[in-house]
Amino acid sequence: MSFLDTKPGVPLLESDDLVRHYEVNRGFGKPSAMVKALDGVSFTLESQKTLAVVGESGCGKSTLGRQLTLIEKPTSGALKLNGNAVGNLSDKEAKQFRRTVQMIFQNPYGSLNPRKKVGQILAEPVLLNMDNLGRKEREERVHATMAKVGLRPEFYQRYPHMFSGGQRQRIAIARALILEPKVIVADEPVSALDVSVQAQVLNLMMDLQEEMNVAYVFISHDLSVVRHIADDVMVMYLGRVAEKGPTDEIFAKPLHPYTRALLASAPKIDPTQRVKAEPLTGELPSPINPPSGCAFHKRCPFATEECAKVRPELRNFEGREVACHRVEEIA
Amino acid sequence: MALLEVKNLTVEFGSEDKPFRAVDSVSYSVDRGEVLGIVGESGSGKSVSSLAVMGLIDFPGRVSADALTFDGQDLITMPAKRRREITGKDIAMIFQDPMSALNPCFTVEAQIMEALKVHEGGNKKQRRERTLDLLNQVGIPDPKSRMTAYPHQLSGGMSQRIVIAMAIACNPRLLIADEPTTALDVTIQAQIIDLLLKLQEDSDMGLILITHDLALVSEAANRIQVMYAGQLFESGPADSIFAAPRHPYTQALLEALPERSEGHDRLRTIPGVVPGQYDRPQGCLLAPRCRYANDHCVKARPEVTDFNGRDVRCFYPLNDQGQPTGLTADTTTGETV
Repeated sequence: MSFLDTKPGVPLLESDDLVRHYEVNRGFGKPSAMVKALDGVSFTLESQKTLAVVGESGCGKSTLGRQLTLIEKPTSGALKLNGNAVGNLSDKEAKQFRRTVQMIFQNPYGSLNPRKKVGQILAEPVLLNMDNLGRKEREERVHATMAKVGLRPEFYQRYPHMFSGGQRQRIAIARALILEPKVIVADEPVSALDVSVQAQVLNLMMDLQEEMNVAYVFISHDLSVVRHIADDVMVMYLGRVAEKGPTDEIFAKPLHPYTRALLASAPKIDPTQRVKAEPLTGELPSPINPPSGCAFHKRCPFATEECAKVRPELRNFEGREVACHRVEEIA
Repeated sequence: MALLEVKNLTVEFGSEDKPFRAVDSVSYSVDRGEVLGIVGESGSGKSVSSLAVMGLIDFPGRVSADALTFDGQDLITMPAKRRREITGKDIAMIFQDPMSALNPCFTVEAQIMEALKVHEGGNKKQRRERTLDLLNQVGIPDPKSRMTAYPHQLSGGMSQRIVIAMAIACNPRLLIADEPTTALDVTIQAQIIDLLLKLQEDSDMGLILITHDLALVSEAANRIQVMYAGQLFESGPADSIFAAPRHPYTQALLEALPERSEGHDRLRTIPGVVPGQYDRPQGCLLAPRCRYANDHCVKARPEVTDFNGRDVRCFYPLNDQGQPTGLTADTTTGETV
């Protein structure tokens, strides 16, 4: 199919002003409200690159992941694969799209069917998407993928409950990889794991990226993990992008006040790296009733009257995109 | 005299003849005004050891210790009634998930006042005033209107503040915080930790901070102990333990952190997983995962020894260069790189 072919100069995955609103019922007799979970997010992802999406819970990172994998349809905006919009795909085309864009979920204890053996879990995507393969070839493919992610062949006949969190996440990674996708959306893939196991899974993901030429959309709240794995970082706040740019630059010199606060709040082991900053006051506002103007202005130490009235748009500054009125003064 | 003194605390589950040791001879002490950080991966026994201190291990769990004293009083031999007076009042605990630590059926006010009623008495009016004070103290905006709120109306950070208010309601002398910020976002985590440390400083409390986050304890604690599979592996002052780890496990944990790695290199991992109930090794519990382990480590279990002022459970503690000491040519059979 044409939209699956890569074209030179065209980004692999492109999101153009993606919006997702949810209607919520507020009780009998009251008008329903709109939760603006995702409120205009644009980005491009080149092949074999890693884009990290960071932010606090409720900022819309997981909602973004669900739109990218067509689990849900965005309210408005366009998602493009190889430059072709995928908004109105036929069922058949959508199936092919999903083969190209796979997902790894946060909690490996919830994402694996407890009644299926590892072999069955891994064979299912092949069964559904590659119907030209016979039983034998299918099994071969499963075994090959298991070897790739470091699962021993005897695990084929075992059930998910027999595995630790790290092993389960390997199974989930294998399931995402078995169709040889171009993009993997990983929603907090290591947040449920211990430090030592987290390192194993991160290494595996980086190795697989090199080996299988896959691009990651890496959704995470852990900044040190993001710094390690990502090429580009997109910081989100209340459904919108606060700052976007190359990882090294963002960590070296965060521009948006929210990015700064995030980096300063993360504890560090090395005493020389600690930033003594006033902790951010207040909490993430409700997406049902977001503040006027800049969504961050009530927690922002630099906020002015303008911030309370006018919503800042993303604009270029020093090779990065920042949504802040006062970025020139702050920088 | 230390506020809390724990000597060889052991918690066992399962059958008498083949018990599973969730906590294996752990010793530590906490002084007034001191912050002790306990770090470890899941299954390391950090939560169970503090539950044992609180007296919250129920049958069939078995708690034994050479000494478990709070302010000079023996917690093990004292009558249950007396112990109940101490736990909740002098020793208080904050649990990991604030959403499930609060009772969804009662208002914030009712839950905090219950703790006050049991331990402090007084009439309803006094208790209500004290509750308002506490909510102010833990930084709840508009505390008057929050008094009548139910837990589901509060955010995670706010719920954790309520739980903290409940814990400090009776002016405890020792506060045990079990992963108090794990369920929270980084910016809220920073707020909660600042609040805990402020309360601790103001009232000269002892604070035990249990977490899996190495960076968090290194910033917050005075002393740190590293636990693994129920055992104490290393303990020492916060500023030096991560600068120069003496135990191979501490060293490996630090190297596994993305924070410590340069650029996009591979992280140095610890192979395998924490041993569970049925696959505890015979020798040192870390031996199958340790890069320095040799035959001796596989066969014999090391005891906690003093090494340059640090408590370390290892036959070959590391020197300043991060290399094992005491390894001689004839004891070395394993890989020592």
